[in-house]
Amino acid sequence: MKRKNFFLFFFIVCPTLLKNMAAPMALRRDIFSLTRILGGISHSVPRALGACSGNKKCHLMRSHLPLASRTSFHTATVFSSQPSSITVTEEPDTLFQKVALLVKGHDKSVLDSYELFSTMAAKELGIAISKVCELPKDTERFTLLKSVHIFKNHRVQYEMRTHYRFIELSHLTGSTARVYLEYVQRNLPEGVAMEVTKTAMEKVPDHILKPMWEEESIDNKLSQ
Amino acid sequence: MASHTSRSLLSLGRISASGLGLQGPLSRVAYATNVSTRYSAGKTGFPDRAGGKFARRPRRAPGEPRTEKMPVDQDWTAVYPAAAPFRPGSVPLPVRMGYPVKRGVPPEKKGNLELIKIPNFLHLTPAAIKKHCEALKAFCTEWPSALDTDARCDEHFPIKAESTDYVSAGPSVRNPAARAVHLKVKLSSLNLDDHALKKMLKLVGERYCKDTDTLTITTDRCPLRQQNQDHAMYLLTVLYHESWKTEPWEAEKSAADMEEYSWEGSPSQRNLLDTLLRVEGGGEEAREQLLGRREVREYKDSVTRLKNEGESEGAVMRYKEAVKKVLHL
Repeated sequence: MKRKNFFLFFFIVCPTLLKNMAAPMALRRDIFSLTRILGGISHSVPRALGACSGNKKCHLMRSHLPLASRTSFHTATVFSSQPSSITVTEEPDTLFQKVALLVKGHDKSVLDSYELFSTMAAKELGIAISKVCELPKDTERFTLLKSVHIFKNHRVQYEMRTHYRFIELSHLTGSTARVYLEYVQRNLPEGVAMEVTKTAMEKVPDHILKPMWEEESIDNKLSQ
Repeated sequence: MASHTSRSLLSLGRISASGLGLQGPLSRVAYATNVSTRYSAGKTGFPDRAGGKFARRPRRAPGEPRTEKMPVDQDWTAVYPAAAPFRPGSVPLPVRMGYPVKRGVPPEKKGNLELIKIPNFLHLTPAAIKKHCEALKAFCTEWPSALDTDARCDEHFPIKAESTDYVSAGPSVRNPAARAVHLKVKLSSLNLDDHALKKMLKLVGERYCKDTDTLTITTDRCPLRQQNQDHAMYLLTVLYHESWKTEPWEAEKSAADMEEYSWEGSPSQRNLLDTLLRVEGGGEEAREQLLGRREVREYKDSVTRLKNEGESEGAVMRYKEAVKKVLHL
């Protein structure tokens, strides 16, 4: 399966970008800086999500939609008339066995609403949710003097409460994870909730299959 | 003259910051703007206390709020398409929020600051989420169906790399803790023989967990996460290849360096065989014969279990039974 890229009309020129990049990271980062020209040239017919379960290495990977249009409510958004195109790239997708979201905030009701939103979004996108739980809150308390000068016996106490929500998703591909995380992070409420995402990836060992000393001894024998 | 200039200053203040409301006569020096008196003469001036010379232009009455005209089956995603503060005229709900006065109720939504302060999710109703996800689905890919269980995932993809991203509001978006990478491997999935496994465990030390058979390599010495990932992979590679090497000084491994207790060649075996030979008589060739006996084998198992797994009631009882059987007590 190939990876899909997303080219938008109004992004700046990146002259160093080639069509089939060798380095996967460079290609992913350059998604946001592609030209209209490239968007026109490298537009390919988006492939359907065919079954590729036999081939473990190649997975369909798509980049995420830059959501500038959705959240820039305070600016006059100028939309392009050209429709955005999805391009498939020859690159194996990363696989995440677990994606864990820990949301922190000072207000429990805001976290409740956010949990509703994120679980619903995960369900709509077809992501498996393994665990949703509420961790016990942390309270940080401190005592200060009430007055500016003297009056040591009169103090005032403050406390800061941090509430938590833990959401664990499982079996996500790299594209899906990026799409979901960007969607969910862009809609994070202001200040009150913070997010810590743990991402566990899976990889296959490549040069650790056989010890290199065996090949060396064979080479030595052959040379002798 | 002072009052004239102050009047003009205040009038400009009112035009530019209409939300702040009327400023009293005490805030004469609040604004430092240059204003010509002529400019402000015809506009809405501050009514002079002495006489009603500058009558205030009547303000246009506010129309009825939009909520009255909203149909029941409207598209709510068009009312709140993106995150926006709470607008009492746009939300057709009788919401009340705030601490009530004595013998009262929480204040209504009109002019309620508490409702504006709290983040709202009016732009993320289920209908809106469905719409968003419909558009986003095109960019998602399916999980391969062959990897449905964790066991299969571990079998084909045994190496796990964990890293954390942090999202928070502050003066900087960066978090230095985001560069740490934890690499977890099950040693049973690597191609290691007996000697290589033991050497690997010695090299790795505390990073190995015996219960889960997991080796955890944590790297955060490089400034970027990709560099830390590469470094962790490099460490794993080096450990693997080094553990397959046999150095000449490894031949000096003594019984104290052994990871597990083995009964062959131990003082326990020597003592047992000497005792049995003295009891029954016989030469050296009887040693192998004795080793083949069932009681001797049971004794060997019980001693090995005691030494390796520690002392427990069951292990000590088993040792007692084995000793009684061997010595025919």
